[in-house]
Amino acid sequence: MAARTNGGTPQPGLQRQPSFSSFPPSRSTSSISFRNDKKARSPQPPMLREDDGSLDSSPRNSSLSPRPGKSKLGGKVRSQYPADSVENHVEYILVASFDIDRGSVMEHQYPGPISGDETMLAELMLPDQAHVRSQDWTIFFLHKDTTAEDEEREARRERRRKRRRRKEGLEDDEDDDDTTAGADEDEDEKEEDGDESTDDESTEESDGDTEADGPPLIYVLNLVNTKQDNTVKRGAIVKAMAICTRHSFLHIYKPLLLLALEEYFRAPVLETLASLYNALNAMDLSLLPKLSSMEQFVLQASDSKDMFIEKFDQMIRQRKKDDAERDSLPSEEAPGSELRKKSYAPPRDTHEFESKVNYNGIPVPIKVPTALSPETVGDFSLIKLIQTFSAPHTTQPQPFALHPHLTTSGAYTHPIIVLVNALLTQKRIIFLGHNRPSSEVAEAVLAASALASGGLLRGFVRYAFPYTDLTKIDDLLKVPGFIAGVTNPAFAHKPEWWDVLCDLPTGRMKISHRIEAAPATEGSMYFQQQSGLLNGAGMNQQGVAGAADPTGDSQFMDRLLQSIADRHGENAIRAKWRSWILKFTRIAAAFEETVYGASALYIGSHETDAGAYGVSGHGFVWPDESSKMRELAANVHRIEGWRSTRSYYSFVQDLAKRWDKRPVRGIDFHHQHDRLRCLRLSHDQSAAIYLAFARAVKEAGAERGESPSDADLPSLMSQSLTLTPSNNPSSVAPSLNNNNNELRRQPSAQLQYDTILQLLIVVPESNSGLFYIALGLFHPRQDVRIKVVELLERILEHPAGRHFWAGLGRFAKLAFFRVKREEVGHGR
Amino acid sequence: MGASISKMMNKIFGSKEMRLLMLGLDAAGKTTILYKLKLDQDVTTIPTVGFNVETVTYKNTKFNVWDVGGQDKIRPLWRHYFSGMLGVHDSVLSTGRQASARTQGLIFVIDSNDRDRIDEARTELARIIQDREMKDALLLVFANKQDLQGAMRPKEVSDRLQLEKIAKDHVWKVEPSCATTGEGIFEGLAWLSNNVKIPNAK
Repeated sequence: MAARTNGGTPQPGLQRQPSFSSFPPSRSTSSISFRNDKKARSPQPPMLREDDGSLDSSPRNSSLSPRPGKSKLGGKVRSQYPADSVENHVEYILVASFDIDRGSVMEHQYPGPISGDETMLAELMLPDQAHVRSQDWTIFFLHKDTTAEDEEREARRERRRKRRRRKEGLEDDEDDDDTTAGADEDEDEKEEDGDESTDDESTEESDGDTEADGPPLIYVLNLVNTKQDNTVKRGAIVKAMAICTRHSFLHIYKPLLLLALEEYFRAPVLETLASLYNALNAMDLSLLPKLSSMEQFVLQASDSKDMFIEKFDQMIRQRKKDDAERDSLPSEEAPGSELRKKSYAPPRDTHEFESKVNYNGIPVPIKVPTALSPETVGDFSLIKLIQTFSAPHTTQPQPFALHPHLTTSGAYTHPIIVLVNALLTQKRIIFLGHNRPSSEVAEAVLAASALASGGLLRGFVRYAFPYTDLTKIDDLLKVPGFIAGVTNPAFAHKPEWWDVLCDLPTGRMKISHRIEAAPATEGSMYFQQQSGLLNGAGMNQQGVAGAADPTGDSQFMDRLLQSIADRHGENAIRAKWRSWILKFTRIAAAFEETVYGASALYIGSHETDAGAYGVSGHGFVWPDESSKMRELAANVHRIEGWRSTRSYYSFVQDLAKRWDKRPVRGIDFHHQHDRLRCLRLSHDQSAAIYLAFARAVKEAGAERGESPSDADLPSLMSQSLTLTPSNNPSSVAPSLNNNNNELRRQPSAQLQYDTILQLLIVVPESNSGLFYIALGLFHPRQDVRIKVVELLERILEHPAGRHFWAGLGRFAKLAFFRVKREEVGHGR
Repeated sequence: MGASISKMMNKIFGSKEMRLLMLGLDAAGKTTILYKLKLDQDVTTIPTVGFNVETVTYKNTKFNVWDVGGQDKIRPLWRHYFSGMLGVHDSVLSTGRQASARTQGLIFVIDSNDRDRIDEARTELARIIQDREMKDALLLVFANKQDLQGAMRPKEVSDRLQLEKIAKDHVWKVEPSCATTGEGIFEGLAWLSNNVKIPNAK
């Protein structure tokens, strides 16, 4: 894509324009790699969050105890949005208006024309019934047509491959080291294409799981205003302005769009767009540290306001050091530009980063989320979505037309469960908000996407159309499975256009009578055969409780609604959904293993089951075989429905990638923790789990003396033979290939840090925190108690772990200190 | 449940339900007619972005009136409104069968003072009325803006539209109207109500 300057005049004839469409390209995008286009980003000087007090004198610091665990990791923390990044915050500003003769037309585009169907864009920007309200917001997404770029990139990649082959040929000659270079090459290229400048471990972690299924979406936030004006023909002006960005948190731009559209009514010229564009792209987020995907999850699952504050502090120290270096250079800057020494303050809450945008002389404060979940776009409320469809169901339930994928608890399945089932099994879903602002339907679509994703699954947002209208219906119907928001009630009359219709004003959901029937599958057959057996066995043991709600969904919804009624807040509700989705995927893995013998959702089971740390087993934990079979049978249809969807395939890919980078593979922390939590274990069984946890964390660290081989896996063993100790460590560390993934599982401070994160991810506050681990302090065996103290000490020293420790009950803490004082000394 | 009771009442008292689609070139007066029907008031309207839809009850007949924006670029969308126009709530809430839901009446609004575009109006009307989905629809043409000096009279409108030809398979009527005063509007509805073939809501 064309490079463009920030402050300059618009460039009408840019070299190559990508084409945009509000629909995903129909051809397969599986071959497309990610993060391809980089645009020139202006070298704006960092200018934000400069407070008057220096870091050390800021009040919040003085009130805080010194932060422990100042990492021995030492590595430089990188910015999520470096100041010298080539990517703009905002790519286009558009203005459309409703012409009384011609309908929706595009009026201005900056910095250049966004190619693609302009009328289509203008229609999206002027939603149905814009004339009946003075203001409305919409959100829609643009898909880049990457055909031309793909070809170009493929050629570039080929060139690079050749170059590398030459280079490697040379190296091979030199040290005569024929490792698996040839086989790794393709892997190498793939990763490198993602980000050519990867020289930091956290980079690949977070980059790896974005947008593997196509080029990044362009998110469009649009504001439309209708102003009555008697001086114009037909009495009104309808205009809309839109911001096109790659940031999924596009709602932060709302206040700016309000100001700018108002300004545009006063001055309907291109310069109005330009000044907004420049102001937005001058926003400085360079002090926002980059977190690995595990760190992001831990941050999101925590309410602690200073989780990972160390990283923010370190960003500031680095910046100060850079500033000092720059100042020491003689007169590179104009004199007077650095009159006042810059100072920076860490955020009040590490979940968001505060910055500001100076627009037309008005400093507009902006808060950018630190951790982004996949499939979370804009600001929406799961609570609102859940309440909308729960209230009518609670007061006056109506039966659904039955469909095995959807009505998993019969005709009176909770509508939200029907919705999530429909999303998981990739149905066509329409949210209809007749006489409602289009922002409302857009929010519902975004909330629904997040609901089904749970921050784990992908493939919803890409096929979500937060606002669309009749003009796009022919394209919409070509999309297999979508989530669309509309305000035109005509959609309600066309059951052939949708599978599930969610009517926002009434809070009612309807399954189309034209929906495609669920095909019979191997899995459903398997459980049909088993069902006779099952019913017989199940009845005797469990009685009615299990039979009435075999999926547990009714109970889940009851608890969820109670939680909403108790005002637990949006984050708590999102965490609950995440756990629902996580449970679903784990049940699906167990289902695949039961029916098909192996699961693509748990590829490393043989490594985990080898029992490297003295415990084996993986996946979801059931108290007994019959309750397992009962739960699998209750889920069989939606699992089978899910197994052929986009979100399933992306998840399988994600899991493979995650498995590749998993710090410790020889133990399934989640499985073992579930055993502690759910099962009645013998003392020896629970001892084995505690010892395994402690050992896994301890052995991940570099400081131990003994040989690494005892715990590690056969594959690693073989690798370590070929990887003769790196004679050139600096060259090994940054490069990314499979060998190095193995290498990274060699004990080190970083590995221990990551291993503790891996453990912490299993025990968010919503899953009782460290409680079950701390129970080990009361274990009858002294060696176990001592190991648990060691484990907790390591967690306590961990930058994230210390917050988990803080959340632990007083009783457990007292036990910790007692065991430490009375036993650890003697034990050693 | 609630819906079926009210339908039964309708049967007893002989009330009807009718699905109407109101089309016409831009600035012909569709939205003004709609809100005259709905509110019996002269409201100042601005160009319709997309559509308006209202339910109007007049003389025991419930009219579901769709008013769709008229700019030439959005006219291709009109076809989506030809069928399936059940009452909004009926279709969302009823879990039972869907009636075949063709539009029963087309109201085509003409700006009687716009002689320049009467041919354009004819072309559009012919395209709509000859669509398969519209084959049973009654056609009511409002020769609107009769209050303006020099407005075409109904006879001239029907001639210029060539209704004898393009609407020969339909029951049609041209009603002179003035949306701002309401003149002719309710007469038009009464004609539709009297001529609709299916007497009662199913």
